[in-house]
Amino acid sequence: MISREFHWSIAGHDITVRVEESQGHGTFHVEGRSLPFRLLQSNWIEIEGKKHRFHVVRSGNEYTIWFNGHTYHFARTQNAGLGQAAGVAASGEVLALMPGKVLRVEVEVGDTVEEKQTVVLMESMKMESALRAPRAGRVARICCQVGQIVEMGQLLVVID
Amino acid sequence: MIRKVLIANRGEIAIRISRTLREMEIQTVAVFTSADEHSLHLRAADEIHSVDSYLDSQEIVRAAKECGADAIHPGYGFLSESPALAAASEQAGIIFIGPKSDTIRVMGDKLESKRVMQKAGVPTVPTWDGSPPAPEYPVLVKAVGGGGGKGMRLVENAADLTGAMASASREAGNAFGDDRVFVEKYIRQPRHIEFQILGDSQGNYIHVFERECSIQRRHQKIIEETPSTALTLELRNRMGTAAVAAAKAVHYHGAGTVEFILDPAGHFYFLEMNTRIQVEHPVTEMTAGLDLVREQVEIAAGGRLSYRQSDLCQIGHSIECRIYAEVPEEDFRPATGTIEVFEPPAGPGIRLDSGVAQGSLVTYHFDPLLAKLIVCAPSRDAAIRRMKRALGDFVLLGVRNNIDFLGRIISTPDFAAGKLDTGFLDKHPEVFFSETPPIEAILAASLPGGARAPGAPGKAAFPGVWTSGSWRNS
Repeated sequence: MISREFHWSIAGHDITVRVEESQGHGTFHVEGRSLPFRLLQSNWIEIEGKKHRFHVVRSGNEYTIWFNGHTYHFARTQNAGLGQAAGVAASGEVLALMPGKVLRVEVEVGDTVEEKQTVVLMESMKMESALRAPRAGRVARICCQVGQIVEMGQLLVVID
Repeated sequence: MIRKVLIANRGEIAIRISRTLREMEIQTVAVFTSADEHSLHLRAADEIHSVDSYLDSQEIVRAAKECGADAIHPGYGFLSESPALAAASEQAGIIFIGPKSDTIRVMGDKLESKRVMQKAGVPTVPTWDGSPPAPEYPVLVKAVGGGGGKGMRLVENAADLTGAMASASREAGNAFGDDRVFVEKYIRQPRHIEFQILGDSQGNYIHVFERECSIQRRHQKIIEETPSTALTLELRNRMGTAAVAAAKAVHYHGAGTVEFILDPAGHFYFLEMNTRIQVEHPVTEMTAGLDLVREQVEIAAGGRLSYRQSDLCQIGHSIECRIYAEVPEEDFRPATGTIEVFEPPAGPGIRLDSGVAQGSLVTYHFDPLLAKLIVCAPSRDAAIRRMKRALGDFVLLGVRNNIDFLGRIISTPDFAAGKLDTGFLDKHPEVFFSETPPIEAILAASLPGGARAPGAPGKAAFPGVWTSGSWRNS
């Protein structure tokens, strides 16, 4: 018998699941309930006597679950009660939302910007998209150049 | 006689063209750039040939000559509507599977094409070269050489026009190498209805009915179907006649599409003519029972149309969903990555034209279209149910995509009722919200051996991270 605990952040809620498993049989303990399960052939699981088809892939702590015809995305957290990185919205970092090319930088260091003002224009998959200031402030740093190919999540502009 | 065809394209359309050519016992050559060295379309061809760019017509013609190809099929996008490739092929004595370069030039110029259609008596939408009078707003800014929503902007008031034209012009310049833009009247609540047409070199023209393409995001189609719920028999005949008149006016040679917008009062206007195979051509094939790529090849080889108008009828109803690597819930941002799991749906009345498979790498170099899922059934209602089932069976993981989003759209009462227009998504914000996962999904995700790390091969759901239970060997 092996026992493990998982902490999930689902739409802002923290959920802890404890799994006990041996020889393909086991029990999930979640929110005060105990649910017996049985692993069937690949990608099939029986929970409380009901069969479900599923697939799971993961990238770091980000999980994608295909479950009975729908795909869901949620994150695993390291500790119970600790949600996803707080304060992202309040930060003045402008990050590339997708990989692509920087077409134009619309601001200069020292400029005052409004919230939602366009600061960078990017092109990805032949479509243009505008990256906007997450909040009002002053441009402290520009970390990209016109024509540069950037990765998803790369820091482009910092607003103080 | 065509013996060998170079397919100047990639992705699902290169594979789809290759399938028909093989049925016709014609040799195929696939081309690829360094970003596509491992792509699926290379496996579908008899020969492969590397190129520096899919957009260099001289290089494509040179490649065709080097391989001994006697024809070039351009697919859609890339050089398909470039008069340069058609002209370079004509000069090199290679058959271009498409219309004459002059036809492409005229129809690719949206202003010129409108003049030609007005002369042929086909109704068109009003346009302006610069700023229109204030009461005409909102207006659309469009690229003269454009298509697929690229270089297009909706402008609500005169103050935003200059900025929108500059931005559209830049995007058009990058995408099509032609930065000219113009301003067109915006028709409210329009439906996008297009007619498939065919014309041969002996002056025979037919239409192969309509396709309704009203479900669009950012002016790009995502769900198409035929027949359209908006057309009565009488309106279908009138629009079909106009489409054939449009083809005749330019002595159209090959397969093409005449696009109309239809307003709620039943008035239709010529929008543009696409001088290539369309992304959504399968819905026509599924209901009319012909192979449009085969028709293209036979016409290009000098053959006559295999059908007269009176030979054609549609059986049943067909719907296509475009599977894109994008996140609709996050403003349609494009997604990239490796496809970890790919289990496509199957069964009666289901067709999948895919450019990817398990292990395919999706990069930001190209259009985010991964695959097209097409269903056909005896009625529209049955086709919707079949599409729901097929989307539900489709497992595509590793690259974020719009499969669930498409399922939510076709599940709306308005879609079921056929109440469609190009503003459908703006009126249905509910389709942008993904469901919260059921508790069982979270439980299944909590099986430590259940998750496959990115890039890891294998097909079992539970590689032995967990226990060595007997289930692993079954």
